[in-house]
Amino acid sequence: MKAFIISLLMLGIIESASAMNHGGMLMDEKGMIMNANSDNLPRDCTKISENVDITIRAGQKHALKFTGKMFAFDQQEWNVKPCAKINITFINDDQIRHQLMIHGLPGYLYPEGMFHLELNGEGQLQASLIMPSQKKTYLVHCEVPQHMEKGMKAQIKVDGGDGDLPSIPGISQPVKADVYPVDWTRLTTAVLLLCVLAGCAIPFFFIINAQVIKSMIQKMLAKLNLLPKH
Amino acid sequence: MTQKHLILIILFVIVLVAIAAFFIPGSTHKAGIAPPATVYNRSADNTSIEKPCSNDHPEWRPAQVIEGVTIDAAPSCEPDNPYDIATSVKGTNNVSMATLMQTNLAQDALTMTDDLDKDGDPDVIRIKLEVVELNGASPDGEFLINTFAIAPGIQPGLWVYAPKSRGMAVKNFNSVVANPLLRAPSPVIRVEQGDKVYITLENSHYLPHTIHLHGVDHPWLTAKGEDNDGMEEHAVYPGKSHTYEIQPRHAGTMLYHCHVQTAQHLMMGLSGMFIVEENQPNNWLQTFNIGAGQVRHPSVAVKKTYSQEYDLHYQSVDKKLAQIIQNANDPRLIAQKMTRDYNMTESFENYFMLNGHSFPFTLRDAMITADENENIKLHIANLQRSSIALHTHGHKATVIALDGVDQPAGMQITRDVFDIAPAQRTDVLLQTKNDGLHSYGPGLWMFHDHVPTGTTTDGMEPGGNIAILAYKSYLDEQGMPKMHDELFDQVFNKDYYAKKQAVWGVGDFAPLLGDAGLIAPNYLQIIIFGLVTGLIIGLLVFLVLVYNRKQKQ
Repeated sequence: MKAFIISLLMLGIIESASAMNHGGMLMDEKGMIMNANSDNLPRDCTKISENVDITIRAGQKHALKFTGKMFAFDQQEWNVKPCAKINITFINDDQIRHQLMIHGLPGYLYPEGMFHLELNGEGQLQASLIMPSQKKTYLVHCEVPQHMEKGMKAQIKVDGGDGDLPSIPGISQPVKADVYPVDWTRLTTAVLLLCVLAGCAIPFFFIINAQVIKSMIQKMLAKLNLLPKH
Repeated sequence: MTQKHLILIILFVIVLVAIAAFFIPGSTHKAGIAPPATVYNRSADNTSIEKPCSNDHPEWRPAQVIEGVTIDAAPSCEPDNPYDIATSVKGTNNVSMATLMQTNLAQDALTMTDDLDKDGDPDVIRIKLEVVELNGASPDGEFLINTFAIAPGIQPGLWVYAPKSRGMAVKNFNSVVANPLLRAPSPVIRVEQGDKVYITLENSHYLPHTIHLHGVDHPWLTAKGEDNDGMEEHAVYPGKSHTYEIQPRHAGTMLYHCHVQTAQHLMMGLSGMFIVEENQPNNWLQTFNIGAGQVRHPSVAVKKTYSQEYDLHYQSVDKKLAQIIQNANDPRLIAQKMTRDYNMTESFENYFMLNGHSFPFTLRDAMITADENENIKLHIANLQRSSIALHTHGHKATVIALDGVDQPAGMQITRDVFDIAPAQRTDVLLQTKNDGLHSYGPGLWMFHDHVPTGTTTDGMEPGGNIAILAYKSYLDEQGMPKMHDELFDQVFNKDYYAKKQAVWGVGDFAPLLGDAGLIAPNYLQIIIFGLVTGLIIGLLVFLVLVYNRKQKQ
């Protein structure tokens, strides 16, 4: 891979001064890697707790196991320990561009809080990052328009995470859910009518069995010693 | 109580009902001597007003040279990014990384190689296009994502072809606004006659699409024997790519558009201009004209005859069609609603755009700016659903080509309304010679579709595809037309297009032409009606009680 290292240029693009002590970007006709970090420990970590190798595949075919999606990663969640180093192999199974962005990382290590891999088409990239120690859930997504919205969304949980992000396929509900027509059959109608009939019968049941019910209640109250003594 | 009393009470109730009916309060009321006062609904609160020109990149306006590419001056408020232009001329493979980083283009978006005819310009052109959804839905909340406003507060769902891009599709982290590369209309594509052009559609969208090269010389099959006409039966599905191959022998203004569910997909915005330029030595063309409008690096042939060149892309949107992608996320629901529930034969056009914008946003980047005695070439494409009748105020221009075929000298008609049917293209010579025929002299001359719908935005005028042919002496330093301040306060306001404001609600005539207020309620009528109705109900209850008591006895 013939890569152009243009870290000098990065200073011009990314305004935050913290970009100066780190970072860099590798880019060629195949894709790009932004803000990879295999060495610098987050401030709250004294050492790397574990090395996690994960392979993330992106593609339209991975959406087949969900309903109502079009693009997806092959997995939707990864769990790592605090201060874990994650070595990611990112594979694009499609003939189009896909990204793997991780958001919410500390800005002093990852400019704009982001780790970003991008593949212009079929192929693969490898890059590492070190997670902070905080118990937190990080967003992983492809930001090509409508890819996350149509399913290409996942999460990395450090130390169990602080909850699920919304609309992760197979894991969490959307904030704004789609609306579908109900499968209303004759059976559904029959159940509804039956329940209406039963509901009508309830008062008659009580009237007919009034004496029985009354004595039952009295017995119950007597057992509980709640009945006023005469 | 006797029978007689009862009958009397019943008769009394009937009379009361008649009285009540007479006093029913209405939601509208005739005014007396003094109709209601005028209300002023354009209050001091101006949070919904936006700056006519944000003036983000004044440094992009002057003429400049980047990567050895000369880029003409563009005085308008929102000039095209000159780095996009330089990269569109040289190719992403021939510019420095520093230049490429000033664009949002992917490194393989435009590869230009091999000077096959040894005339000083590259002849093998590889173009990669993605399909981008603007103003789309998100399952993560009640907001739209990758937004692109066509007018203040107006964000219809749109699809566009976009040059293959890289990085973030939004402007920045805290924004849902699309980055400047992702906008309507689909970019104008320019290639040279005889070039070997490979156009790859990388379908990044969630529905199938194609590219049909309308009017461009192309073989029906590629060299490998695959589809090259982009028809429905050879759709490119999500995540897939397909390359169309051409070597056009004929120069002219043509089109490209999606031919899958064509009526809807074209109206959603999957259409653009495809211009084949004459083969000339050292003819480095501006392959992408993003956002259409002024061509800041015209071809060698154009420069010989014309002082300036503009691409004018007219497009229209049915808001009901556009809403489909905003009201669902499930691709199956969108597919069903768009292909079967939506009926194009019962459709309307609500929004009319020139180069992706409706007035007043057309003033930012879709103006024609001129000096006196210029010869300006306009490429006009009608990608609307309906015909347009383009009228130029203060000018009569001359038709020089129709549908990419030059008009013979005797048929070059000079007129001030150009009728252009859907998918037709008209190339026009606009002369700014102040001779009382071609031009009536300097000014801020409007040009617009004269079909009455075309100048409105969902029925609100001024809107639609109204734009201005501006003589430079009438432009301020930010490229905005002078003498329009009052109009700007009115129309650069989303409340105006949301129809919340009186059109003439300010100035001396505001008391006369502002909104009439609400009429005061007639309390006497309301009190009588209330009392009578109450009395009726009371009497009826009384009668029921009496009846019950009688039954028990």
